[in-house]
Amino acid sequence: MIDFGDLAAFTLHDVKNRLAVLASRAEAKGDRDTVHAVLEVAATLTRLLAWYKAEKGNLGIEIDARTPADLLTELTREVGPQNALTVSADLVDAPAIWFYDEALVRMVLLNALYNALRHARQRVLMAACVRTGWLEFSVRDDGPGYPAAMLGQPVAMQPLSREGTGLGLHLAGRVAALHSNAGEHGYVELGNDEGAVFRLMLPP
Amino acid sequence: MSIQTPYRDKRILILDDLPEMRSSLRSQVGSLGCETIAVSSTVKDALEQLKAQPFDVILCDYYLAGGTDGQQFLEFLRSRNVIGRGVLFMMITAEKGYESVVTAAECMPDDYLLKPFTADTLKMRLERLFEKKKRLARVDQMQDAGDWAEVIAACDEIIAARDRYLVDVMRIKGNALLQAGQAEGAVGFYEQVLVMRSMPWAKLGLAHALRKKGDTVRCKETLNELIAESPRLMAAYDLLGQVHLATGDAAAAMAILDSACTVSPNSLARHRAIATAAEVNGDFSRVEQALGQVIKRTRHSPLRETSDFARLGNALTEMGEPGRAVALLEEVRTSFRDDANNPLLAAIEAVAQQKAGHPDKAAAALARATQADRSALPEAVLLAVAKACLTIGNQDAARDILKNLVQSNPESKELHGRIVAVLSEHGAPELAKQLVKESIREIIKINDDAVLRAKAGELSVAAEMLTAAAHRVPGNMQVVSNAAVALLFDVFKNGLDAAKLRTAQAFQQAVQAHAPTHPKLADMAELMTRIRAKYAKAHK
Repeated sequence: MIDFGDLAAFTLHDVKNRLAVLASRAEAKGDRDTVHAVLEVAATLTRLLAWYKAEKGNLGIEIDARTPADLLTELTREVGPQNALTVSADLVDAPAIWFYDEALVRMVLLNALYNALRHARQRVLMAACVRTGWLEFSVRDDGPGYPAAMLGQPVAMQPLSREGTGLGLHLAGRVAALHSNAGEHGYVELGNDEGAVFRLMLPP
Repeated sequence: MSIQTPYRDKRILILDDLPEMRSSLRSQVGSLGCETIAVSSTVKDALEQLKAQPFDVILCDYYLAGGTDGQQFLEFLRSRNVIGRGVLFMMITAEKGYESVVTAAECMPDDYLLKPFTADTLKMRLERLFEKKKRLARVDQMQDAGDWAEVIAACDEIIAARDRYLVDVMRIKGNALLQAGQAEGAVGFYEQVLVMRSMPWAKLGLAHALRKKGDTVRCKETLNELIAESPRLMAAYDLLGQVHLATGDAAAAMAILDSACTVSPNSLARHRAIATAAEVNGDFSRVEQALGQVIKRTRHSPLRETSDFARLGNALTEMGEPGRAVALLEEVRTSFRDDANNPLLAAIEAVAQQKAGHPDKAAAALARATQADRSALPEAVLLAVAKACLTIGNQDAARDILKNLVQSNPESKELHGRIVAVLSEHGAPELAKQLVKESIREIIKINDDAVLRAKAGELSVAAEMLTAAAHRVPGNMQVVSNAAVALLFDVFKNGLDAAKLRTAQAFQQAVQAHAPTHPKLADMAELMTRIRAKYAKAHK
């Protein structure tokens, strides 16, 4: 019998191919809103598939030397500008290279970015910097902030109440933890500072 | 309206089996201002395009129709040198990494693009990759020229700058140290990198360096550790398999390659490696199984390799089924016209025909196998031809081939072992050892005699003797390099001779290609300088 999970994985693959065609058509017509919407849907599917792989224990990770500034620039240009909200990146203190799996970290930050856009009033700011020897990726908005119960370092399966299913945050925690070096594991931290601040901390 | 962009002159090849994706990609690339865009739907067509004109960038989808994937295509391109270091290869996938395995660094695409992506993202990625190629241009150039000392120096400059290319360049430097034959230095370098951070490529490099240094025990330890930490790094299994084979443990080699195959069942390289280990181990049903997998996947694709069919035919014969071998080999010979006179295929067919009771057809096959210029054939093919000669009863021809093989490779104990094994199978183990010993003695004697003549001032005689010997054993770098030096010295002392100079330069290039760190290369370079100085003066 065909396993539902495997069937779903194949289907998602096919759907992403079709979305790629849709996005390209919209882009050719200069229809940026549709491009954004399609990319966001595709990102949701990527997370679902990643979650399934993680459950099956084969969310492979390929850590390599990467350039945080490149990743944030790319995300900023891909997602913003949207509606009346501005999306920008502070790269002044970003290190030239750090070690992480670019595809997985991209997925996590993209989710945090979409989340922030849903709650922001005017702007979303991403940043990369080194804090006490760790790489800190942050996504901050100027919205109402996280509810108090969610603050700090979320435990693995805490449901996320800010819309969404909680899948994104759960996955973020897993991806962070997979980034380990010399016995130290990455983690996610939620805070409020004139809006919500999502932080992904990666070990040196 | 014509758009002026930095991409105008970039030539792009798109390979995707889905028509809609192809036109999508074409319009995205077109929006960057590229004027030369070629589109292929199959590997076969893409290969033709690549042969017809050069490209700067290849955009390739991971899933391709016809049983091939983008990774196999890339490995084919790199291993056959269809594309140079300067060509960018971008792999397009719907989701990255979760299924893919990590292959050797030289077979990694320059970048992955995850679908769906915007033209703007594609542009940013290309910008960065072109920037990187620019920064590493000198390093790449020196690598292409095989000038490893210069590669190391150029890498050190970039490493000192500690910019975003630090790790890329560290990888290149480690490899350059290995290529330059500095095993000790490479061990030290990789250990230093690993202190900074444990990275799989550095551990793999350390294992390579330990092997070169001759420390097999630590090499195996390092690889076992690496496989435990990074089970998807295929190159680690490959190297461990090779080390086991080289140390005579074919069973361990098979076990490790088997586990690699479980992780990466689609890799053609792995199935071929298993077949090699199984051949050494004498386990021909495993050879049949492994090569059967490869052939099933490549039979109708341009990635088909004649040697797979030949080795499968050999395995069938060894399993006592020469009839099946004959059927397979005859089919290959008639349906793939390029292979009709392939010497390996013909040699293996000769053995199969003889064992299947068709001596006439065996003789015909052997005639096809021996018509090629022997000096151009690789060791494995020559061994197969010698085996065919022995099977058919042509002892003298076999001895002739085997003697030449030993003399061309006087240092290779592994090859000598294989030669002894081939001869022993035909009932002459004592003869085999004697042949190896005598062949080596003979070539050493020619070399020593020539050196004596040279010392006695008979430079032209010495040069002639060594030139004849070098033509007979073109793989023996000691003889070839001595011949080059003798010829150059002869020219320097006794006057310009265009033919001698040409021969000397051909030998010099052969040494450069086969043994770039050979100590005699410096002597040749110095002699050339002196020859130029001497005869330039004479002309004035």
